[in-house]
Amino acid sequence: MWSALIAVLVPLQSVLLPSVKIGGAMADLGLVVTCLTGVLGGELHGLLMGLVMGWVMSLFSVIDPVVAMGIKGVAGYVAGFAGRYLVALSPMIVAIGMGVLSCGAGLATALVLSLHDVQDGWWVLRVVVLPQAVLDALVGGVLYWGLASRYGIERWRGEYRIS
Amino acid sequence: MRMVNFRASYNTGRLVIVLAVVLLVGFLLVPTHLQQIFQQVGSPVGWVMSWPLRAMDGVKDGLINVWNGYVALRGVEAENRELRKEIEYLKGQNNQLREAAAATARLAALLEFKQQANIPTIAAQVIGRDTGNWYRAIILNKGEADGLRPDMGVITPAGVVGRIVKTTAATAVVLLVTDPNNAIAGVVQRTRDEGIVEGTASGLARLKYIPMLSDARPGDQVVTSGLVGEFPKGLAIGTITKIHKEDGGLFLSAELTPVVDGEHVEEVLVIQSLPGSGEGKRQGTFKEKPTS
Repeated sequence: MWSALIAVLVPLQSVLLPSVKIGGAMADLGLVVTCLTGVLGGELHGLLMGLVMGWVMSLFSVIDPVVAMGIKGVAGYVAGFAGRYLVALSPMIVAIGMGVLSCGAGLATALVLSLHDVQDGWWVLRVVVLPQAVLDALVGGVLYWGLASRYGIERWRGEYRIS
Repeated sequence: MRMVNFRASYNTGRLVIVLAVVLLVGFLLVPTHLQQIFQQVGSPVGWVMSWPLRAMDGVKDGLINVWNGYVALRGVEAENRELRKEIEYLKGQNNQLREAAAATARLAALLEFKQQANIPTIAAQVIGRDTGNWYRAIILNKGEADGLRPDMGVITPAGVVGRIVKTTAATAVVLLVTDPNNAIAGVVQRTRDEGIVEGTASGLARLKYIPMLSDARPGDQVVTSGLVGEFPKGLAIGTITKIHKEDGGLFLSAELTPVVDGEHVEEVLVIQSLPGSGEGKRQGTFKEKPTS
C-alpha cells in the first residue's frame, strides 16, 4: 500500500502540481503525507515514511537526497510525537500543525542547502517557505478532514497511543 | 300513406330540378355585372364561414406541427445524440491532430538542428518538473541507460536550456539556466566580452563579470563561450535587457531574457561529451544555419 501511495504521489508532485502553482509555490505532498502518517501511525511510521518519501522525491529534484530524507524524516517523527500527546485532533488543528511543521521544514532546508546569494532569507520566506506552508496546511487539513469523515481514524490513533 | 307521400315528394323533387335548371340557365343568361349581386350577397356568408375554416386550418396546422415536431422526430433525438457523440469524438481527434502537428513541427526543428550541429546529441522529452520549490529544474525521460551523465549540456534549437545535475537509470534532472545555482560561461556576441551567466531569483538570468569598459548594450545577444565542457561555442543564451554596475565597482552586470522558456519546453537535445573536451579548452563550435 505504501509503495502504491508513493507511486501515485511522485507523479502528482512532479507532473500535476507544477501546473497548478499558487503564488509561485506548490504544496509538498510528500511532507503532508509524511506528517499525516506520523500523526495517525506514530513516530516510527512517520520517521520511516519521511525517509522513504524524502529519498524518492529527491530522485526527481536537484535537492540533495540526504537533506530531503533528513528533513522529511524529522518532520514525520515530530508529527508522530505531537500526534501522540495531542488529546483531540480536528482538521483545523491538523492544518495549523501542518503549517508550523512545513515552516520549520522549509527554514531547516534553507539553512542546510547552500543556496545562492540572491536567494536570501526574505526570498526564502516570501517565495518558498510561507506559500508552501499555507498550501501544505490547506492540503493537510482537507486530507485529514476527508479521512476523519470517512474512516474512524480516531480508533487508529487510539491503538498506537495505547501501544 | 307512404305511397302518397312518396309520390308527393317525387313530384316536388322533379319540380325542384326543373326550377333549378331553369334558374341556372337563366343565371347563365343574365349579364355579368348582375352576377356580382350574388357574389355581394354571398360575401357576409363567406365571412361567417371563414371562421370555422380558419379554426379548422389552425387545428390542422397544430396537428402537422405536433406530427413534425414530436411524432416524426422520435428518431431525430437518437440521431442528435449520435451526432453529438460524433462531434465530441471529432473535436477530440481534431485536438489530437493539432497537438500531433505541433509536436511534429517541434521535432522536425529539433531534427534539423541535430543534423546541422556538428555535435553529438541525444533527443529527450520533458516529463516533469522539480518535486520541490527550491530549484528550477525539469525531468527528462532519458537517463544513464541512454548515455546521459551529470554536467551534460541541454539545449533546444533556440538555445541553452540548462545542464544535467542528477541522473537515474531512466531519468535525468536538468537545472535550468534561470536557476541562481546554475553558472554557464557566456560571451556578448557583438563585443566578445566574456562573463558568467547565472539565473536570478525572479526567474531570468544575468551575465556577470563583464569588463567595465565593455560596449555591451541592451539588445545584444549573449551566447555560450565554449570555455567549459558542457556547451559548444555560439549557442544562444539570452538577450541583454539592462546593464548596470556591480556592487564592487570592478565589473558590469547585464540582465538577460533567456531565449528558451525552460518552464514550457517539451523536447530537448542533450549534448554528449564533446570530442577533445577539456577544462579551459575551447569546445567545438556550433555551426549556425547559413542564411541565404
